[in-house]
Amino acid sequence: MNAHRLLALLVAVIVFVPLLLPDGQGIGLVNAILIWSIFAIGFDLVFGVAGMLSFGHAAFFGVGAYTLSLLTMRMGWDFLPALGAAGVIGGALALLFSYFAIRVSGLFFALLTLALSQLIYIMAGTKLRMLTGGVDGIAGVPRPELFGIDFYDDGNYYFFLLALFILALLISGLIRISPLGQALSAIKSNSVRAEQIGFNVQRLQRSVFTISGVYAGVSGGLLASLIFYVGPQMLHWTTSGDIVIMVLLGGMGTLFGPILGVAIFEIMREWLSTQTSHWYGILGLIFIVCTIGMPKGIAGLIIQIWNRILPGGKS
Amino acid sequence: MIATTENKLVLRCENIEVSYGAFKAVSNVSYEFTPGLLYGLIGPNGAGKTTLMNALSGRARLSNGRVFLNDQEITGKSPHARTWAGLGRSFQITQIFAEMTVFENLRLAAQAHRFRLQPFWKPVGKFREIAENAERVLAEIGLESFGHVNAGSLSHGDQRALEIGLALLSEPKVLLLDEPLAGVGHDVVEKAVGLIRRISQGRTVLLIEHNMDVVMEISDEIIVMLAGEILAAGNPETIRRDPRVRTAYLGEDE
Repeated sequence: MNAHRLLALLVAVIVFVPLLLPDGQGIGLVNAILIWSIFAIGFDLVFGVAGMLSFGHAAFFGVGAYTLSLLTMRMGWDFLPALGAAGVIGGALALLFSYFAIRVSGLFFALLTLALSQLIYIMAGTKLRMLTGGVDGIAGVPRPELFGIDFYDDGNYYFFLLALFILALLISGLIRISPLGQALSAIKSNSVRAEQIGFNVQRLQRSVFTISGVYAGVSGGLLASLIFYVGPQMLHWTTSGDIVIMVLLGGMGTLFGPILGVAIFEIMREWLSTQTSHWYGILGLIFIVCTIGMPKGIAGLIIQIWNRILPGGKS
Repeated sequence: MIATTENKLVLRCENIEVSYGAFKAVSNVSYEFTPGLLYGLIGPNGAGKTTLMNALSGRARLSNGRVFLNDQEITGKSPHARTWAGLGRSFQITQIFAEMTVFENLRLAAQAHRFRLQPFWKPVGKFREIAENAERVLAEIGLESFGHVNAGSLSHGDQRALEIGLALLSEPKVLLLDEPLAGVGHDVVEKAVGLIRRISQGRTVLLIEHNMDVVMEISDEIIVMLAGEILAAGNPETIRRDPRVRTAYLGEDE
């Protein structure tokens, strides 16, 4: 138990950094970490809890971003309802994907989700150019206007994102320990037995895939508003790859691990990209070394070290 | 004990056939299982016993024939739908949630049976009824003191008992047991047979078992399979005397 509190503490330190440092240093980075963390927390429900490797989550992320941008900029919607719609559309697309992809499992599932999301990428980049602005994307995505607070200030926007992050974390934490989360773990552990004791395996898989689509849609919308821009790059398969890497790096199947993974990934991206233009390749190398060296991610490593220091406090 | 006193669920199959390419694992099998009886299903390796069980429980696709529970046709229904209809089963190769505790295993089976839609708004620990059902079956299969042990680290015999416990929690009226005694040590066979006897009360049980002494002792009826077909069926005494069975199967042992 202690090791998990330590992880929670680490996460708290990361997300509260802007409050700890003077003049709100690192706030831009933490804002990005909060948004990607919402994505990662939702992705891990599918990947870590239910054991399904999806390579298609960029689609829900990117479609959420386009939904928020188009509704606020073209339709004149307010930010919050548009953010809600980003979640709904992200979830709906995930549900649609799941009807195709859940028929198969393992590698085939990963490939099918990848193919479907690339289809969305191509549609947004070329076929739906009138709507999406093609490869140029859409610039000028707004931020919320609430209670007269200026959310265009990164320091203020931080609190908005922090609130959503905590909400996302609480919901995911609850799902994990709920009958639904337990049933998903059962499917991951032994789907033959899960089906035989009466779980409707495919329906449960579709539900969690949809829930994580909502997470992805909301976080995509938030990222577009953070950087005032949405482009087809968010739909590209490398975005799906990034989220897999983040979650694996942090520790799949744990509540806090994915957030640590996001933090490390974003810090590395920030720092390495100032050092070299080959930063993405170096990041990949680091990732490969990490997955070989610590198969349970940073969270697993921390728990292991903690239990070695305090053999009595084994969790 | 969750034995239902009034069990009227009749499992029936008509002309069922399961083929893999040109090979017919099960062919032309028709049978009606009388409620409340314990059926021993025997036959040499490769006779199609497990395939028949898979066909009845929905794990094998039928190339021909139909399966019924009472008058309701369940052919083509998924395994979970058949579980909900009252048809439970255990597996020859142990299928448990190895990295979870014994109690968690049983609690999963309890919640699977309790909810059509799994709740996501409350921790599973808050559903007392589920925990109580799991505890009850934990005692029923004699694993009270192993509730907090990881299922994967149980002895083989105890894993076989857990396997049965998982099937029991769906409160099946018809229970298919695929070699529940496979690999169980001689010292615990008696205990395991006792468990099978107890859970057979008020249920229809179809039991695949290679130990002839056990089968002859506990079965009400025996079905003998050979090369995918039912060779003979009847009470243990009839089967023991049946010359065809002796040549085809029992003869090998004598």
